Amino acid sequence: MTLLQVRNVTRRFGGLTAVDDVSFDVYEGTVKALIGPNGAGKSTLFNALTGFDRPDEGSVVFEGEELVGRKPREVVRVGLARTFQNTQLFEEMTAGENVMVGSQARQRRGFTTAMLRLPNAVAEDREAREDASRLLRLIGIEEWIDVPAADLPAGIRRLVEIARALATRPRLLLLDEPAAGLNATETRELVQTLFRVRDSGITVVIVEHDMGLVMEVSDEIVVLDRGAKIAEGPPRMIQKDPAVIAAYLGGEVDDDV
Amino acid sequence: MNARTLRALAPLIAVALALIVPLAVSDRFLLKVFTFCGINALVVVGLALLFGYAGQVSLGHAAFMGLGAYTSAYCTVELGWPWLLGFVAAGVVAALGGLILAIPSLRLKGYYLAMATLGFGLLMSLAFIQAEPITGGVDGFSGIPFPSIGPVEFRSASSLYWLVWGAVGIAVLVAHNITSLRPGRAMRALHGSELGAQACGVDIVGVKVRTFVVSALMAGLAGALYAGVVGFISPSLFTLTASITFIAMTIVGGTSSLAGPILAAVALTLVQYSDALIPGLPRETAQTIQSYQEDIYGLAIVLIVIFAPRGLAGLWKRRSAGNEAS
Repeated sequence: MTLLQVRNVTRRFGGLTAVDDVSFDVYEGTVKALIGPNGAGKSTLFNALTGFDRPDEGSVVFEGEELVGRKPREVVRVGLARTFQNTQLFEEMTAGENVMVGSQARQRRGFTTAMLRLPNAVAEDREAREDASRLLRLIGIEEWIDVPAADLPAGIRRLVEIARALATRPRLLLLDEPAAGLNATETRELVQTLFRVRDSGITVVIVEHDMGLVMEVSDEIVVLDRGAKIAEGPPRMIQKDPAVIAAYLGGEVDDDV
Repeated sequence: MNARTLRALAPLIAVALALIVPLAVSDRFLLKVFTFCGINALVVVGLALLFGYAGQVSLGHAAFMGLGAYTSAYCTVELGWPWLLGFVAAGVVAALGGLILAIPSLRLKGYYLAMATLGFGLLMSLAFIQAEPITGGVDGFSGIPFPSIGPVEFRSASSLYWLVWGAVGIAVLVAHNITSLRPGRAMRALHGSELGAQACGVDIVGVKVRTFVVSALMAGLAGALYAGVVGFISPSLFTLTASITFIAMTIVGGTSSLAGPILAAVALTLVQYSDALIPGLPRETAQTIQSYQEDIYGLAIVLIVIFAPRGLAGLWKRRSAGNEAS
């Protein structure tokens, strides 16, 4: 079943067309990768999908709902959660508190109920706390729960950000270069987490530079070059696609993967 | 006693100490000084929410205090309202002011927001002088009645002290509830990363506006209390200097804390009244301290920013974390 439909999305910055008429579908329960050389428009497309930027043309439909023109917080409430290329953790808050903020996407109690410490505000708080420790345990990093984000190693930071996104209870998780800056061990842990997320029924869209990781985790790949889609298909096919090899992978693809 | 129980008991000890002050202190002037500490603490609790938690700077908070003070004075003296009603009106007017100041905060960050709030503060301190029919202009507003709730009038130094610190206690309770639950996490998230907060579904506009309003409300109520305690207000009280003093207290007190800023508010207020505090202090020394008061505040900010960027609260947290680890 199609969970996300991207249709003819175009985004221009002055004379530059950063994303040029890109369309693709994301099927439920799969992992889709967006790859392409630097400046191919991956992050711009990502921002357009999540409400952080508004495309000039095209539509993004999630389960029949148009997302173009919605604010980021509305998009996350519909069921799309994202992470950032430069992790956007709340540095002074602990790993656990960071994940608790993710729960806000589906919570309703506001200032007044909190001020008066009404029972439902307290209950919501407890629920967020339990959710946070459950998610950190699921990802296998519960021992970091009380450590301020600023003191976390890079690999753990990525995983905390993923846990925080999961706390919004998304149907679709969008990861912007999750392996950037990670060493081999940390990347292994990330791959494990990705499989666990997928197996829990959450669909994943991933922008990534690490080719090994992309080939391993994704069911389908979309290749962008200078803003336009040049190929789409399963990893095996993408590796052999002449346009992709010319634009991005170079001649070394077979040695590399 | 380990650090955890100490931390749990600290608020109770603080409340007990604050309550018995009027019983232990017989000097009426000294008691008034401690009352002023409470009034400043009330402003600083609101500013701690805004700046220490949500990371939104305000260099115009004295304006909200002034709005509250003049509203309460006008309502009680000119309109003949009961004090409590004037007190509520003061809160409402200051909160509306906070709503107005929240608008630039939606577009501006950091230095630019600081400049916008500074401009608001300056504008308001001019308005207090210019709106003579209401405020009495430079001569100020006098003859403001003592606070009263129904038949109970707060006249004596100790009853005023309890009234003010009672208000501080309620404000701290409300602020603590906000910061320990969902809105507090939203505020700290906003402080940490607006992008991250948006990605978590935090309504950043709503959080900023509400925080500005609550913060301004507390400053406004503090202003109304000041007017009632002293009986006289003038524009010279609600100037840029006062705003800077409040932000200094908040910075010295530390981020993501209420206790730190309150402590700093009390300590820095006492600097102004060193002669009352230290009995044998020669007059000249006291005057010297007073004339260097702003320099002392400035120095305190510089030292804290360099050596303890998270303020007194940060020092305390680091110490207790160290104790727990060992």
